[in-house]
Amino acid sequence: MQIAVSGGKGGTGKSTVAINLAIALREHYDLVLADLDVEAPNDHLLLGVELANEEPVELFMPRFDYGKCTRCRKCAEVCEEHAIITMRDGTPFLMPNLCSGCAACEIVCPVPGAILPGKKLMGHTYLTETPYGFPLVTGRLLEGEERAMPIVSRAKKRAQGLEKELLMVDTAAGTSNTVSKALEDSRLIIAVIEPTPLGIHDGELILRLAKLMEVPAMVVVNRSDLGEVAKVREIAEKYGAEVIAEIPYSENIIRSYVEGKPIVLTDYPEAGLFREIASRVVEFLGGGE
Amino acid sequence: MQLVIASGKGGVGKSTVTASLLYLLKDEYRFVAVDADADAPNLDLLLGVERWEEERELIGAKVARINTESCIRCGICQERCPYDCIKVIDGDYVVSELTCEGCNVCGLVCPVPGTISLDEVRSGVVRKTTTRYGFPLISAQLDVGRPNSGKLVTEEKEWAKKLMGELGIEHMVVDSAAGIGCQVIASIGGADLTILVAEPTPASLSDVRRAYKVVQHFRQPAYLIINKADFNPGFTALREWAEAEGIPILGEIPYDRAIPRSMSMLKPFVEAFPDSKAADAMREIAGRVREEILK
Repeated sequence: MQIAVSGGKGGTGKSTVAINLAIALREHYDLVLADLDVEAPNDHLLLGVELANEEPVELFMPRFDYGKCTRCRKCAEVCEEHAIITMRDGTPFLMPNLCSGCAACEIVCPVPGAILPGKKLMGHTYLTETPYGFPLVTGRLLEGEERAMPIVSRAKKRAQGLEKELLMVDTAAGTSNTVSKALEDSRLIIAVIEPTPLGIHDGELILRLAKLMEVPAMVVVNRSDLGEVAKVREIAEKYGAEVIAEIPYSENIIRSYVEGKPIVLTDYPEAGLFREIASRVVEFLGGGE
Repeated sequence: MQLVIASGKGGVGKSTVTASLLYLLKDEYRFVAVDADADAPNLDLLLGVERWEEERELIGAKVARINTESCIRCGICQERCPYDCIKVIDGDYVVSELTCEGCNVCGLVCPVPGTISLDEVRSGVVRKTTTRYGFPLISAQLDVGRPNSGKLVTEEKEWAKKLMGELGIEHMVVDSAAGIGCQVIASIGGADLTILVAEPTPASLSDVRRAYKVVQHFRQPAYLIINKADFNPGFTALREWAEAEGIPILGEIPYDRAIPRSMSMLKPFVEAFPDSKAADAMREIAGRVREEILK
């Protein structure tokens, strides 16, 4: 089964919640954590590990055999991304940055071998052992590439392939379709929301997405003393989500964050908050080992 | 001049810095502000925008739909979908609208003509207002679960350019989204320079390095503002990185509770708390932007 940590806005503390929750949950489940914030993956830094077991994510990219191409323009016509342009005589050219690697051009090309399967590197996935008894799968988009979806999709598959009892997903900010891809198949979404007007605005969007996807949501209010928690409760209620924890702004959490030492393993009082979130999750999911 | 504010990591203070910078420069320069974080637009909130003067729906996202009447349940569409967006629900093949990229591969491989259609759907809205500070703001909001917000950003920038022509405005200031994906590429592409905002943490450093690679890809100059500068004493790697790359540091803003408090007041912090130490630092930064960038 799968659960997800998300939050709408960037920098609300999604990764902090994800790694601490994963550590707290390892006592209940055999789990894997997947960092699907492929544009800015940071869970490995917070866990103090170096990414390992790199695998490339390559996409199909058409290469034209101009000796065979009949200049029929079908490839250009079918390309939804307008990544193929044609010269006046119909000679196709690819603009690699626009290509999404869907291979529609190859499917419609009437001449066998006129479009050859080239490859384009989009990013990487990693599988890293952590000192906390669970592995971390990370997706990382290559700088300069636009499309996060293939990396999210591949990293998620790699994590699913480990066949752990629990897959815990940490998503990117926002509510675009790459976030939906990460959330897909979750039994529970933990939305990390800051009680500022900005945090509430973006938090509402993620709750709306959870509702659309018919996934139950629970809310963790982070930096709860920096705004009005009552307003977070209001939107949570509107979307049928329960507020399960309030984490105040804390120097201890910041210190543990910058040192790459998860707070849940310390004796600070904040550790208890994360253990409490974990026990609410266990209660919801029903047990584990 | 078109300048972009980017950061890689979310939540480091990009929009906060942008709002205060705009506030400090508004009397001397004419600009259009663009909030290019179409996923989670916030600049309007920080500038106290209450209403939009004009709103345009952007139809352009495409999603595939399967007609279950004529579908023969051969499963080829599911097999060939590059992004695993087709599920079998109660025996029917169904495209997940919230993850479809609209590439139409399913439609091309489907053996029954007319069974799979590629329908245009709304991807979001692009909107414009005049802020209470006098300058126009273009913003956008991607609908939840929609692909390619980069197109929305391109649309925003085109509107901003048109406005610049009509009103004789010289500058465009773009507040980019977090990350390095399509929205960020659409923000940085075509700009003159990028101001990076980062905080002294390993995560922010890791992400700003990635954003800087995108800036280099477009062969633009970059500058750095260090936010929450005193938040992690002893972490010198951010400053060292900037120095090694030759990225000029425009200034450092200390962590200051005035900033989250100003956010709740829906005002730039330099306006809400002009006597705060963060505001002092921001005025110094605005001074350097005047002298070194806008000249």
